[in-house]
Amino acid sequence: MDHLTRLENKSIYIIREAYYQFKDIAMLWSVGKDSTTMLWLCRKAFFGHIPFPIIHIDTSYKFPEMYRFRDERVKEWNLDLLIGRNEEKLNEGMGPTQGSKLDCCNELKTNALKLVIKKYHLKAILLGIRRDEHGIRAKERYFSPRDSQFKWDYENQPAELWDQYQSMVEEEEHFRIHPILHFTELDVWSYVKREGLPIVPLYFSKNGKRFRSIGCAPCCSPIDSNAQTIDEIVEEIRTTKTSERSGRAQDKENIYTMQKLRALGYM
Amino acid sequence: MKLFSKKTKKALIIGIDGVPHSLLSTYIKNGIMPNLKKILSQGFALHQMNASIPDISSVSWTSFATGVNPGEHGIYGFTDLRPQSYSLYFPNSKDRKAPTFWELLGKTADTTSSLSQQYLSKINRSYRSIVLNMPHTYPAYPMNGILVSGFVAIDLKKATYPDSAFTYLSRMGYLIDVAAEKAKEDKAAFMKSLFECFEVRKKAISHFFTQEPWDLFFACITETDRLHHFFFDASTDKENPYYQSFLRFYAELDNWIQTLYNDFVHLSDGKGLFVILSDHGFAPIKKEVYINQFLKEKGLLFLRDEGDFYERIENKTTAFNLDPCRIYIHDKMAYPNGRIRREEKAEVLTKIKEALKALKEDGNPVIDRIYQKEEIYHGSQTERAPDLVCLPNEGYDLKGSLEKNRIFSDSPFKGMHTWHDACCVLPDHIAISKKPSVENLTDYILQYYS
Repeated sequence: MDHLTRLENKSIYIIREAYYQFKDIAMLWSVGKDSTTMLWLCRKAFFGHIPFPIIHIDTSYKFPEMYRFRDERVKEWNLDLLIGRNEEKLNEGMGPTQGSKLDCCNELKTNALKLVIKKYHLKAILLGIRRDEHGIRAKERYFSPRDSQFKWDYENQPAELWDQYQSMVEEEEHFRIHPILHFTELDVWSYVKREGLPIVPLYFSKNGKRFRSIGCAPCCSPIDSNAQTIDEIVEEIRTTKTSERSGRAQDKENIYTMQKLRALGYM
Repeated sequence: MKLFSKKTKKALIIGIDGVPHSLLSTYIKNGIMPNLKKILSQGFALHQMNASIPDISSVSWTSFATGVNPGEHGIYGFTDLRPQSYSLYFPNSKDRKAPTFWELLGKTADTTSSLSQQYLSKINRSYRSIVLNMPHTYPAYPMNGILVSGFVAIDLKKATYPDSAFTYLSRMGYLIDVAAEKAKEDKAAFMKSLFECFEVRKKAISHFFTQEPWDLFFACITETDRLHHFFFDASTDKENPYYQSFLRFYAELDNWIQTLYNDFVHLSDGKGLFVILSDHGFAPIKKEVYINQFLKEKGLLFLRDEGDFYERIENKTTAFNLDPCRIYIHDKMAYPNGRIRREEKAEVLTKIKEALKALKEDGNPVIDRIYQKEEIYHGSQTERAPDLVCLPNEGYDLKGSLEKNRIFSDSPFKGMHTWHDACCVLPDHIAISKKPSVENLTDYILQYYS
């Protein structure tokens, strides 16, 4: 079995087991390359039709290309899309320049997700995070549920499987499942190529710049790049020395730093 | 071949974040820490020690790491404003202006300080240090040895030098810190997580201690500080539901210190330098005190609704506060919209000092001491220092928040830092003429290697 097929099998196994364990499950789709890959894997896992809803947390600050891509895929793949928006805060004018960026992320992402989870009584969420991503995601781990009844955390790495996505969810009443944790950035692009997956055009170079990681438009910056095709992106990633999230890393680090300081009362 | 020559100098330094001298003495007396008691009887003394001012971990550990005061190393808190702006940032290793002891010992320092000048020629070879979980060293810079940054470190890879150490730590499930943000939701689970985090830290420490060559070994335990923030009320109260867990943590700490100490005595043939220190003390909280709200009520601070943090400062502002109590005068020369002229400054400072002295809660004075920067800071970074720094009376936790609309409120925390009650354990033969400060200890360590 080749490398990508092995990765694919592992992910599909996790997705199916997750669905088997939790019927009140949903998948979080940011419309970026990773969660789009996960979405594709979910389709494969259930032979084309995903039996659970897909959540898009809409901060209202996403790139227009992302909304367009989302709506096209929903139609094409017949997705059960739930949109999570913190309408109350949006009506109050919350945005990255209105309050602090930390508050903006907290309200429009964390709390928007909480609202969706509550509204639809979800018990588990599939997340497209990867172990090789910026360390604030992959290494800042909370505690694995020691007395977990789940037997399918194979490879004996529960702490890794249940790796927390701290900025996203504070409530512990549901599980987070990470089916593509074992993919690297390079794997994702190689897989996108192999599968002929559609991808938001922001990832491809325009006027010498492209986005390596996408999120809210005001908080993302493109990198210098001439990669206009997936092959060129793969080649670029193979040789690059800078981190994937360099366009977002500092902001993200600051947000996490603030959270850490706040938790101890230093801010 | 023998890995360690008996002639080489070895030092083991244990950091216990936020452990007060008073509590440690009590626990030694009460038999909760029998091993430490035994160690103390073998040629060591426990001293009360002053922390840095302000008495928070970022500043205190940096003072210890560099052996100089904030006026030289330039770290005044977890937060600061960029020069000539209102823009908040998080100073860390790249902002430190003085070399650390591991850089001096390893001969990798590219900056100098008053302390390093004394030792440049005295340290005659490059010593290898292993420095684990040292707060406020993020990102970790290359050095002779291994460095793992502690709080606030976000990305473990960036927190670790060299990469081989990262590979080990990421595989073994190392935790930089407990998730303090979870403490509010489930205290029992948080208590459990403190033990788990301590376990994984001990495991990592033991790995590097035994598997790597070193001349100096430093390891810090952060869990004590977290324990105190959230459970300090349980430290002596038998009725508190967390009393037993609190004692058990100290008993485990005592066991661990004993194990590491014994291994060290063996490794250094009884001739090494052994030191324990904390970076500040702890005391119970009565109230949180929001200094910015106090300044607002005195007509000294005006905030707009828009903007991030200190960008909200209006032109007519006279002074503002950064956590915990670092008061900055809105100086015409120092800030884009500053209004206080140099010649007005002395008068403004006097006025604020008087007001702070008069600040009372339930009849009790809140502020114990007020320092002007020139009184306590010395060195090239003094200009960037806060104009006034206050130390509170015990029980009043001074805060930098901009978002409160009362001066006093109850605290969600159970413990607050104290300046005067940090502690250190030093060999008897080190003569202490007056009460040590955290930055004095570095000198003893460098002396040992010179």
